Amino acid sequence: MNLKKSLWTAVILGFTFVTIWELYVRSKGYVSELDDNKALWAIQRDKVDDLASDDVILLGSSRVHFNVQLNEWEESTGIRPLMLASDGTTPTPIFEEIVNNTNFSGTVLIGVAPVLFFSEPGKGFMWDRPTKRLKHFYDRTYAQRTNHLLSIPLERSFAFLNASEEEWADDIDLKTLVGNISVGNRLPEGRPPFNNFGFVDGDRNVTMFEKTKTDTAFANGIIKVWGYGWDRRPGPVLEPVVSYYKPLIAKFKERGGNVIFLRSPSSGGNRERERNDIPRADFWDSFLEQINEPGYHFEDYDSLKHFTCPEESHLFTPDAEIFTKEIVKILLADKQIKTRNTN
Amino acid sequence: MLFNSLSFVVFLIIVLGLYYSKILNWSGKKRMLLLASYVFYGMWNPPLVVLLWISTVVDWTAGKKLATLTSPSKRKMWLLLSMVVNLGFLAFFKYGNFLLENFTNLVNTIGWDFQAKPMDIILPMGISFYTFQTMSYTIDMYKGKQERAKTFLDFALYVTFFPQLVAGPIVRAKDLITQFYEPKKATLNQFIWGLFLLTIGIFQKVVLADALLSSTSDKVFDSAKVLHGLDAWMGTLAFSGQIFFDFAGYSTCAIGIALMLGIILPDNFKYPYAAVGFSDLWRRWHISLSSWLRDYLYIPLGGNRHGITRMYVALTLTMLLGGLWHGAAWTFVIWGALHGTYLVVERLLKKLIPIKINVWNGVLLALLTYTLVNITWVFFRANDFDSAKRMISSMFYLHPDGEKILGFAEIGKVGIVILGLFMCHWLMRNTSMKAVSEKLPSWVLGVFWACLFFFICLAQGSGEQFIYFQF
Repeated sequence: MNLKKSLWTAVILGFTFVTIWELYVRSKGYVSELDDNKALWAIQRDKVDDLASDDVILLGSSRVHFNVQLNEWEESTGIRPLMLASDGTTPTPIFEEIVNNTNFSGTVLIGVAPVLFFSEPGKGFMWDRPTKRLKHFYDRTYAQRTNHLLSIPLERSFAFLNASEEEWADDIDLKTLVGNISVGNRLPEGRPPFNNFGFVDGDRNVTMFEKTKTDTAFANGIIKVWGYGWDRRPGPVLEPVVSYYKPLIAKFKERGGNVIFLRSPSSGGNRERERNDIPRADFWDSFLEQINEPGYHFEDYDSLKHFTCPEESHLFTPDAEIFTKEIVKILLADKQIKTRNTN
Repeated sequence: MLFNSLSFVVFLIIVLGLYYSKILNWSGKKRMLLLASYVFYGMWNPPLVVLLWISTVVDWTAGKKLATLTSPSKRKMWLLLSMVVNLGFLAFFKYGNFLLENFTNLVNTIGWDFQAKPMDIILPMGISFYTFQTMSYTIDMYKGKQERAKTFLDFALYVTFFPQLVAGPIVRAKDLITQFYEPKKATLNQFIWGLFLLTIGIFQKVVLADALLSSTSDKVFDSAKVLHGLDAWMGTLAFSGQIFFDFAGYSTCAIGIALMLGIILPDNFKYPYAAVGFSDLWRRWHISLSSWLRDYLYIPLGGNRHGITRMYVALTLTMLLGGLWHGAAWTFVIWGALHGTYLVVERLLKKLIPIKINVWNGVLLALLTYTLVNITWVFFRANDFDSAKRMISSMFYLHPDGEKILGFAEIGKVGIVILGLFMCHWLMRNTSMKAVSEKLPSWVLGVFWACLFFFICLAQGSGEQFIYFQF
């Protein structure tokens, strides 16, 4: 046996296989994109200590993540906010960490997705997920940091590198491909397939996939997942959330910080469930009244209430750009945020 | 740093580039390897490199004294010093919380209301491996079986050599230090074969252990429910495959990387799931640990030189401590106790029922061995005794109405991988990968290698830690 020959065969064939696979997945609509994972989040979290008092941190779940567009915010104020919102989470543990472990004294905009925000502090996936990100931020090794930095140019170049921390149903890594095989019905039907519907750039600014707007079947697939979640989540709570936030906000304001709450648009059946299960008067209004802080609800502003979410929960990116510009205008008018633009 | 990570790819390219460049002489290359090994370890937690330095300095000094002193009492004192430092680190970092927890439970049982604050101790990666490796040097020096390392650099590199630093194989001084005395350079064939071993090791870890088996095993063992027998069995089988591919994968990578540098490391696995009986299993599974335990624990405890009863006691004690070596929890002790019991029962049965092994009864006995090994894996993997108990009762079909948490496809996936694993081990049990590959046409090996590479790319490992790093 000639090992040199084997090596050359392996190199040529190996790269041929990978090239064919790359071309195939691109033909199926996949593009090279960054994974919005804990390592990418930690890079943003790292920047908090360098922020000035006129800077803005965005916290919340996917609604802030999709709906507040960093480029438009920066264009309007001269300040690029720091995106620390994470999909499927409550912002509470991150806000707590910023208040207790940093000296940041600027503005924190907290997105309120009712079903995630009004949940029992310390419990459930909505709390575990941001906690894991914080743990990674504090525990990450130099090897992990280096691996992530090295992975970024590869993720930006190859569409086949499409495995995500979120474990989307349409990821194309081996584990997901094998996991998607279904035979028989030994188990009751589980969560409907949850496909990725947006991609992030280096500072975690999200762009929603075009097909979410144009492909009704695709959007309906995501809507089904929201419906599945509604039927299984524990009921909303108010008092524990108020009790959790009150001392944190007091501490943050004492050092000059400013907190703003934002309720982004939702549509269709999702909006109906929010109205019925987490009524505004009982939760949003009552929360703001008890903590005595400013809150901006899309229903209260003509410029914010006409949007329709393609999958009932998030804005299509061109709409999100308009939404961002409009909310910034309102916040500037109310002197809740500052601008560095001179004209 | 993990072998299955991008930073390691860059690290290895730099190390190989420097190793094969002409700018360094042999001493320079060894210094470079030593520095690289500290970087390899420090990329995880830099301050803990100090532990490696302390171990190195203490054992180097002890070895020096053992080589020159003639007074038995002084020699014993230096051996004890080495053992106290090494085992002290192990006891503090690995068993500190476990000892405190058990002490608290004990005093609470006898009525003393004592609550200890848990110690927040980081477990240094691979501490059990490098501790055992350095201890073997000092013990062999004490026994006069080992010559003193020629230079401090050779010894420091022996303690720290990055391919096998954090998860073995645990190499004896005589097998590794002597290789550092003369300039080493891999032949072209050794280099290519080393690269092939590295590929197959990463394939075992990233594709087979992480992508195909870990999720099933995690789903089953992390379930708080009483499971259906089939689910419990598939979860356990998945874990048996996961831990083999994970650990054997690491060893294969380590052997391959060392070979690319022209350094030979011993085999650590020889198709263990085709073992016929438990003595055979321990000659095939984690060979470097089982031979360490044999030489430094079982034989000093009396081995088979002092009658049957003493032998069984020695065997059981060795396996109990072997279990505890793997982790600071009573579940690991039970794992070791079960293996000890299996070994004792096997020796008794061998005397009573002499069987001549042939292909037909061999495969059945290998299957029986593998099945019994799976029972032990439950204790190894379970988070606590309650879940181990639930799993075992489910595996004995005591809960026909138990919860089903695996679909047919997942059961099929585990079934195919494990059947393939068992068949591969059975067919390969008396040969080696090298011997088989030498009989293959070059292009067949090349195609096979390309497939391994493609599946590694497809799996896109997320840099999951190797299971044995925690030991």
